[in-house]
Amino acid sequence: MSEKQETETIPPKDPSKLTFESAFTRRRILASYWLVILLAVPLWWSYTSISRLSLPESRIQALAGKQWHSDIRVHVKSNVKAHPVDAVVSDVARLLKEDLKESEGVSIQFVTDSKSSADTYEVTLNTNVERASLRGRKLTIGMLPDDDAESIESSRLRLASVLRHLLVPPPPAERSNSPQRVVKYSPRYRVSFTLLNEDSASGKAAYTWDMQQAFGAHLGPTIDRLSPLHNFTVESQVQFHAPLAFSPKAVEHEGKIVHGLTHEDLTVFVNSAEWTLSSAVSNDPVLHFVAFIPSKEHDPLYILDDEGHPTTSNAFILPQWGGIIILNQHQPHLNMFALRPIFQTFKTQLLTLLGVADLPPAGIQLDNNEPFSQWQFDALMRRRTMENVEESRDTLLSIVKLVNQIQNMPVGKDVKGDVLGALNALEHAFEVGSSSPMKAFKYSAKAFILSSKAFFNPGNLGMLYFPAEHKYAVYTPLFASIAAPLVAAVVREFLAWKKARREGLAERPKTD
Amino acid sequence: MANALGMYRTVKRLGIPDSNIILMLADDAACNSRNKFPGCVYPAAARDLDLYGDNIEVDYRGYEVTVENFIRVLTGRMDSSVPRSKRLLSDDRSNVFVYMTGHGGNEFLKFQDNEEISAFDIADAFEQMWQKKRYNEIFFMIDTCQANTMYSKFYSPNILATGSSKLDENSYSYENDMDLGISVIDRFTHYVLRFMESVNKTSQATMQDLFDMYDPDKFASHAGVRSDLFNRPIDQTLITDFFGGVSQAEVLAPEEEFYYSSTPEGGHQQESESFTHVDSATTSGAVKSNNDEIHGYSDLLSVVQDLQREPPKRDTTGLFRTWVSSGLMFALVAWVSMRK
Repeated sequence: MSEKQETETIPPKDPSKLTFESAFTRRRILASYWLVILLAVPLWWSYTSISRLSLPESRIQALAGKQWHSDIRVHVKSNVKAHPVDAVVSDVARLLKEDLKESEGVSIQFVTDSKSSADTYEVTLNTNVERASLRGRKLTIGMLPDDDAESIESSRLRLASVLRHLLVPPPPAERSNSPQRVVKYSPRYRVSFTLLNEDSASGKAAYTWDMQQAFGAHLGPTIDRLSPLHNFTVESQVQFHAPLAFSPKAVEHEGKIVHGLTHEDLTVFVNSAEWTLSSAVSNDPVLHFVAFIPSKEHDPLYILDDEGHPTTSNAFILPQWGGIIILNQHQPHLNMFALRPIFQTFKTQLLTLLGVADLPPAGIQLDNNEPFSQWQFDALMRRRTMENVEESRDTLLSIVKLVNQIQNMPVGKDVKGDVLGALNALEHAFEVGSSSPMKAFKYSAKAFILSSKAFFNPGNLGMLYFPAEHKYAVYTPLFASIAAPLVAAVVREFLAWKKARREGLAERPKTD
Repeated sequence: MANALGMYRTVKRLGIPDSNIILMLADDAACNSRNKFPGCVYPAAARDLDLYGDNIEVDYRGYEVTVENFIRVLTGRMDSSVPRSKRLLSDDRSNVFVYMTGHGGNEFLKFQDNEEISAFDIADAFEQMWQKKRYNEIFFMIDTCQANTMYSKFYSPNILATGSSKLDENSYSYENDMDLGISVIDRFTHYVLRFMESVNKTSQATMQDLFDMYDPDKFASHAGVRSDLFNRPIDQTLITDFFGGVSQAEVLAPEEEFYYSSTPEGGHQQESESFTHVDSATTSGAVKSNNDEIHGYSDLLSVVQDLQREPPKRDTTGLFRTWVSSGLMFALVAWVSMRK
């Protein structure tokens, strides 16, 4: 009896119900799970989405149609009766216009007032001038004094051709069949000079050279002159063992056995596997200049012509790479005197590689011992400006195109900043293009640097392409297993709540 | 690995300096403890030519060989601290030869057994190179199972592509080295390399000659060529345009006068060429392309293909399966929890 009563007062424990469990606690726990998930969604979203900032497309597109051109002002003075200024100007202007192409981006204007700007070129026509001479932006050129039509015509043709070569040197492609000799523009170059002994143990070698003095004397002015365009870092070294990767052909020349390099040998002359010609401290392009001293075994070493005969030349250029000179006679110590011809060759090679145009074929004399004339410098600067403008414009356009085309490509803050910087610089360059060549160049170089930087930004790498089924494969096992119990719990809780409510409603009328 | 090393040897023999070759190699074979010939990699069972030899320069090896690094090499988007030797310093005059080999499938190639590159990735990378004028022409060669699918997504101009096998076809190895217990080189690469042995620096052989050599019976697969993006006739495209370094020299006249006068003569154009090799050999075996493994892959791959070939059906059945399994799960959970 008593046992039975006890069981009635204390109901048996339901194993599926815990003593501390209440509906409220359970719902709070469930809600906190959902809260965490909901709060994490924005985080997940921001981590998995690709940041693609908008680029100033319309401004970039607006530049696409613009044709770059710079104005050159020329003032002509005439001391020759047969050539009055007006007639010369109209003739020469016509000849130049025929010759110049639109794509060269230059228009030549003849002005009457030489004081209008410091950039104005002055041409003085004189009789009794044997060799045309250049001083600063002034050109003095001789004209035939006769006033018959033929000599007038030939004088003016000559003047037009000289002006054409000085102001707008024809692109290298037209001059020779080596269009790619000139290195690409870079704001910084490293110039490396190497005295290379093939084998100093053979007893024929140069051990030291007065490189610093020779460089200062022969190349210093050139480098200074070019410093507005490029920043140069110079390094030099002497190497005592630098074997060739092939063995030069032995030929007979003037009764002696000499060694020769054929044209094919020259192309593989540089033994890049074994010669260390420049330090690898930076990623700037390097221009190499090598004075090569053959070993006793290969001495003397000559460059052969197509028929296999030694030529008098001892130097050659590897396009975009640098210049090499072969020394057959030398002292163990190369002093200033011995280095003079070497560095003269290096200078020529350097100027050729950097794209300084030659003076016109008709003999022209530089007045003072300038490394090269102001005219050549200006022409180079104009060409580099145009190249930079076109290059940076193309880069900007291709950035826009790629960003639109590749949907997975991120565009970060720094990329956008660089694009904007390049765009601003480019627009400035167009603004000052005709008034100040130097400023235009600076802006174009800035645009070039920034646009390349934007393009090559490491963060710009398009995310790899994942097919849709990859995404499902990654997300399904992660999320399905979490989502199923959570959703099920909510549904269950909702049902329980509804049931409780119904019971509550059913009970309420009773109590009331 | 012998595939890539063989190609590396060939371009080097044809005059490309190491500085212009970027070799990406798993590089786990030569010094593997299971390699009976330490420090050597042979392309043939006869073992007459050691490819690992005396002078090879591997630019990316082991765990540096990733999809990301490969794309970075192509597009040039590198950290500023990366040295020159690891960069592809090409410009609008460069002919670039890209050779890839490894295990692959329909539109993908595996890198190091843990990553894969898809045909879309390579196509996009080439387009970015084209936009920044990082190449003049590209010759793309790939030796993997179903290789021809890898170049099917290209859309940039001036690309010539060739692959070893069609969709649903395997690329087989050429021979087994019984002493090593593995296969040493793939058929396609073996015959291409054999053809290349007949080419020297001044050879006039054209791409057409190379493609004419393709023989489905020898390869046991149908090698493919894609030339619709290439705007030169391939029978006038020299092999050495891509495989040979034809840097040209020009001789300067002797300098006599003190003032500046430069009269360069006899110049020729330079073609700076850059090469990229990728070998994504597996890390599991000593040398890649074991026949058994390839068969294993083909089983796996056929699944992928089926899925890809019939996308609508996959969508509905997939959806159906998802819901059914979720429903089952719900039912189970509910049943357990509702049980009193």
